[in-house]
Amino acid sequence: MQSDGMQDEPSAMAPLDPAHATVLRMRTGLIFLVLALAAAIADLGPLRLTPIPAGLALGLVLLAGVAATLIFPGRRYRAWGYREGGDEIEIKRGRLIRVRTIVAYGRVQHIDVAQGPIQRAFGLGTLILHTAGTHGASVPLPGLAYGDAERMRDRIRARIRQDLV
Amino acid sequence: MSAPAPAPEEKRLHPASLIVRWLKIVPQMLAGGIGLAATSNHEGIRRFILFAMFAALAGALFALVSWWRFLYTIGPGEIAIEKGVFRRQRRVIPFDRVQDVAIERGLIARLFGTARVRVETGGAGKDEGELDMVALGEAHALRDRVRHGAPADGGAAARAPAEETVLFALDGPRLLLSGLFGFSLVFLAAIGALVQQLDQFGIVDWDQWFTAERAEAASNLVTLQTSLALALLIVLAGLAAGLVRTVLRDFGFRLTRTGAGGMAGSSRGLRRRRGLFTLSEVVIPLGRTQAALIESGPVARAFGWYRLSFQTLGADRKEGGVQVAAPFARMAEILPILAEAGFPAPPPPAAFRGGPRRALVHWAAPWLALALAAAAGAWLIDLRAAIAAAAFVLLGLAAMLHWRVHRHAQDAEALYVSHGLLKRRLAVMPYEKTQILAVSRGPLQRGLALATIIVDTAGAQPMRGIRIIDLDAKEADEGADRLHGAFLAARAARKAGAAYG
Repeated sequence: MQSDGMQDEPSAMAPLDPAHATVLRMRTGLIFLVLALAAAIADLGPLRLTPIPAGLALGLVLLAGVAATLIFPGRRYRAWGYREGGDEIEIKRGRLIRVRTIVAYGRVQHIDVAQGPIQRAFGLGTLILHTAGTHGASVPLPGLAYGDAERMRDRIRARIRQDLV
Repeated sequence: MSAPAPAPEEKRLHPASLIVRWLKIVPQMLAGGIGLAATSNHEGIRRFILFAMFAALAGALFALVSWWRFLYTIGPGEIAIEKGVFRRQRRVIPFDRVQDVAIERGLIARLFGTARVRVETGGAGKDEGELDMVALGEAHALRDRVRHGAPADGGAAARAPAEETVLFALDGPRLLLSGLFGFSLVFLAAIGALVQQLDQFGIVDWDQWFTAERAEAASNLVTLQTSLALALLIVLAGLAAGLVRTVLRDFGFRLTRTGAGGMAGSSRGLRRRRGLFTLSEVVIPLGRTQAALIESGPVARAFGWYRLSFQTLGADRKEGGVQVAAPFARMAEILPILAEAGFPAPPPPAAFRGGPRRALVHWAAPWLALALAAAAGAWLIDLRAAIAAAAFVLLGLAAMLHWRVHRHAQDAEALYVSHGLLKRRLAVMPYEKTQILAVSRGPLQRGLALATIIVDTAGAQPMRGIRIIDLDAKEADEGADRLHGAFLAARAARKAGAAYG
């Protein structure tokens, strides 16, 4: 049994694929690009009628975007970790609210491997474990190399089958 | 048709269901027509009568067609339901996916000797398989067949409920007493809804009613005496409403043991029958109970009355996703039922532990912060905010009291968590029922080195899951690992037992 999973220093948990930090960065960047576009439109239109200097809104959004893209995704990436055990998988996540989840293979109903468009560009995937529970019954594990995610799914599937015998 | 040997026959519902369907449809159609009548001249009333006749006819036709197009087949291992007037839908429910078969008999059903059968699979859908209505004998046969996987041709499976051992009964004075504890003010909401409906259909225009003069006259009537009388009236009405509701629901409450003694564990269950006008009968399958809950409100607890229910997969959402096994019982009566269901008895109060004292900060701090903000508001903006500040302080104190009663215990078989300041619930969860374990730490908890263990079970209602809030962080981490270890051990033990048994 691991009991040091919640500690802040690096524990026995494996980190996600480093490319996942880039994926998170691009997601944050995209959101701020959309916001910047909206700010630019506001700058050319309605804001012209107010004494707010031209370009201020756009500048602020861009500044916030650059800061957010540089700071948060890296932290969020480092908050993730997982450990594939013999009978269970352990996943830790969350920067503000830190959660360590233990899912016994015997409880997994089915497994998905999902891939978003940005993830596809980096060859990453998300492993999703579904259980019969009700409160957060589906546990996602993003940021695995797609092949790894598939191999992990197959390993867990084999263990579920063993568990059923 | 998938059955190989004798082709199971397709059946229609009992013809009496035509009447039930008709009685359901026509009022719905008429509700739309009330607006016509509300124009309140002769023309309006004549139009309404015409409309009512049309509704009665159309309703009959619709009921007939949907009855004709509803077919069900009870195969060897599954039940198939085919329905829909234009868009046909065929649903097949395998017996081994059925969590629960509930039989319900309203007044009309009892008149015709029929019943409504609801097949629950624990899926997300609402009406998963409903036969409304079939003959009572057919309903019982179907249930026995689902539960035993074989035709109930007079074998031990189809034993009469009357012969089963009664585990709990509620009648006579105790039923009335439990009704008094069922004090409820929902009727106030019902009156509010009625007032709104009347206004909506234009029968009464409240804006015309409440004129300034009338409001003035009414305010003169508000004295200490009238207020007290009104309060007394509301309390009495609340008691009466609770009494009526409880008697209607729990009249003749019987919990019996069902399933032939020597059969496999999965077919054993607790059969619950109750109801004054609408008789309902469900079987709580023992292999599928996830947790037991012992609850009581503040007054009932002072008198030593508790309610026992089981969290199952197919439970009715209306009841909060649990099946009530004993609505109003002494602890001494609850323990044998728990034992019957294979649940351990909760340990004595001394065995329960709370979290570290510093957790009080986490429970009270949010309320005290709000109180501070309100106090600042009272000082700077409006003195009346002081009332809000006082209320927040009280809520903070209540949270601190709540912390005192949030306790947990563990023994060889199960986890016990007690929660709730006024209405207290004790959850009993055998380790084997764990789905997911999680340890969660928010920002304030991190500062205080605290953590919450969340235990997810199947069929739990959102917000009502089992959680041990604010343990010491290290203890919570080790606790979660221990719970996981206990789950693995319990599962291995059961598998070993199943291999030999």
